[in-house]
Amino acid sequence: MIELRSIRKRFRDADREHTVLDGLDLEVRPGEVVAVVGPSGSGKSTLLYVTGGLDGDFEGQAVVAGRALSRLGPVERAAFRNQAVGFVFQSFNLLPALPAVENVLLPGLFSRAAPALALRTLEESALAALGRVGLADKAHKLPARLSGGERQRVAIARALLARPRVLLADEPTGNLDTASGASIIALFQELARGGMTVLVVTHEERVSAVADRVLHLEGGRLR
Amino acid sequence: MRPRGLLHLARLDLRADWKGAALNGAAACVGAAALAFFVALGGGVGDAARRMFPGETRLVEVVPSSVSLGAALGGGALDDESLARLATVEGVAGAFRKLNLRVPISASRPPEGVALNWPEGLTVQVPVIGVDPGLVRQDLAPGRWFEDRGAGEPIPVVASARLVEVYNKTIAPSWNLRRLPPGGALLGLQFRVRIGHSIVPLKTEDRVVEGRLLLAGFSERVPLYTLAMPLQAARRLNEEYRKPFQGYSAATLQAARPDDVPRVAAAVRRMGFSVDESDRAMAERVGAVVSLTAGALAFLALVMCALAALAIGQSMAASVRGRVKDIAILQAVGATAADVRALVLAEAALVGLGGGAAGAALARLAALAADAAAARVLPDFPFRPESFFAFAPWLDALAVGVAVISALAGALAPAALAARVDPARTIS
Repeated sequence: MIELRSIRKRFRDADREHTVLDGLDLEVRPGEVVAVVGPSGSGKSTLLYVTGGLDGDFEGQAVVAGRALSRLGPVERAAFRNQAVGFVFQSFNLLPALPAVENVLLPGLFSRAAPALALRTLEESALAALGRVGLADKAHKLPARLSGGERQRVAIARALLARPRVLLADEPTGNLDTASGASIIALFQELARGGMTVLVVTHEERVSAVADRVLHLEGGRLR
Repeated sequence: MRPRGLLHLARLDLRADWKGAALNGAAACVGAAALAFFVALGGGVGDAARRMFPGETRLVEVVPSSVSLGAALGGGALDDESLARLATVEGVAGAFRKLNLRVPISASRPPEGVALNWPEGLTVQVPVIGVDPGLVRQDLAPGRWFEDRGAGEPIPVVASARLVEVYNKTIAPSWNLRRLPPGGALLGLQFRVRIGHSIVPLKTEDRVVEGRLLLAGFSERVPLYTLAMPLQAARRLNEEYRKPFQGYSAATLQAARPDDVPRVAAAVRRMGFSVDESDRAMAERVGAVVSLTAGALAFLALVMCALAALAIGQSMAASVRGRVKDIAILQAVGATAADVRALVLAEAALVGLGGGAAGAALARLAALAADAAAARVLPDFPFRPESFFAFAPWLDALAVGVAVISALAGALAPAALAARVDPARTIS
């Protein structure tokens, strides 16, 4: 689950300091899909990065998947990102030079879990993850040869490889057509039914419409 | 990140940017090739120089001092008594006497059994020195003897190991004579000589007798244009021709170890004798020149490796700047700063490995080409080697190792740059 208390995040831009998150509180239970909406620049992505351990420079208490993020050092935070959470981005963020299956198995390469998995085992896991999102037949295609929806499903397969307890999605349907977007939303719902905690940052009503809760981020706080 | 995963990802990255990898590999290849080529050249030329100017590191050549302070200081003539004292100097493992044959010997015909087109009327003077058999015993051909068996018997002689090569490459062509076969085929041949005869006017002795010299071996311990006969034979001939003994012309001391040579030489000088270092000095000078040249060329190659490292560094820094987002993605899925740094360094190591291996192969190809060109262009001088390059077994490993180190050195800054990527700022 996700439990954020009094999260404050500031950015320094030249001589000015901007407070993006200002005492934010949030709690998301396992199996719940929560959508965060808000205008551009309101700090939605920052909220996601703090929650996912990409940004460790914040004030407040953040406990995600049972780990207190403020106590984690850089290496532990990397392990947390590797094992406990999965990220899905609007622009997919796949490595363009690697085929889908290699993109999916990336988290396995950085895993510190023992025992170490052989590359062949990792590849089998990656193929299974691709099969789970309906892309088993496109495993060896480069991202450029896939449609937007397919790329996002590859990104979701990558996020799911380590079987994380929390999925963080940043505008996951922003670059997708209606049909592709709908399939991604359905996939999130399915994952949540399986007990995963899903936090989605979005502009789109079609996403927020299926969320268990919709929260508005304004002035650095959720309402 | 585990090594297997690291290499897997590094390999994928290099394959994705194969043009950049090839360019960096080419830089590493040139550096490694230059290093292997120049070190091999230095080794090959050094080997040739050592064949041309052999200098045995354990020998000390003792000669009577030109300014003798007399027996009171222990110097003066080299006689049996002084030889006995020289033999007891600490670090001396053996002392061998040398005695100039003061009776001229000439030859007017080729060795028996050799089809040599000896010019009609040609007579050559044969310089001979008598030596203790122990000095050349190790160089005698199997079954050959080196002792004086008295008047009327052939006198065994040992020639310089370089003589046949010099004869074949310089004397034979200039006199239009046939070349001699390799040294081994000449062993056991006999020369008819005239003892007491000199080609120098007024130097021929009153008595000239026919004699025979028997070639018993070749040795680096015999001067180039001189034959060595047993000391007893030289002493007997000198006595037969009433040449009074005036002391040995020289003595060769064999040090137990090369490190003992300076100490032995110093002791010899303290005893009032001189040390003839002309051969050793020549060998050392040649060795020094070769080492200096090889060192300069190797330094040049190392500079090229350093330039390759800079080029690789520039290229990889540009590559890192061009894929900061990819690096941020890796961090998002669990890569630490150390993982990212290791990944860039692994890519560099693979580039260095490939470039170094290619460089080592390129150096051998270049050496083959250079040898082929030298064979066409250079005259056939004595001791001209088949190859001017000596590729020691460790040289390939050195070339690859230096290429890997160069690539790693060049990649240090780009790796640090990659490790500083902030995923939260980059990935959005």
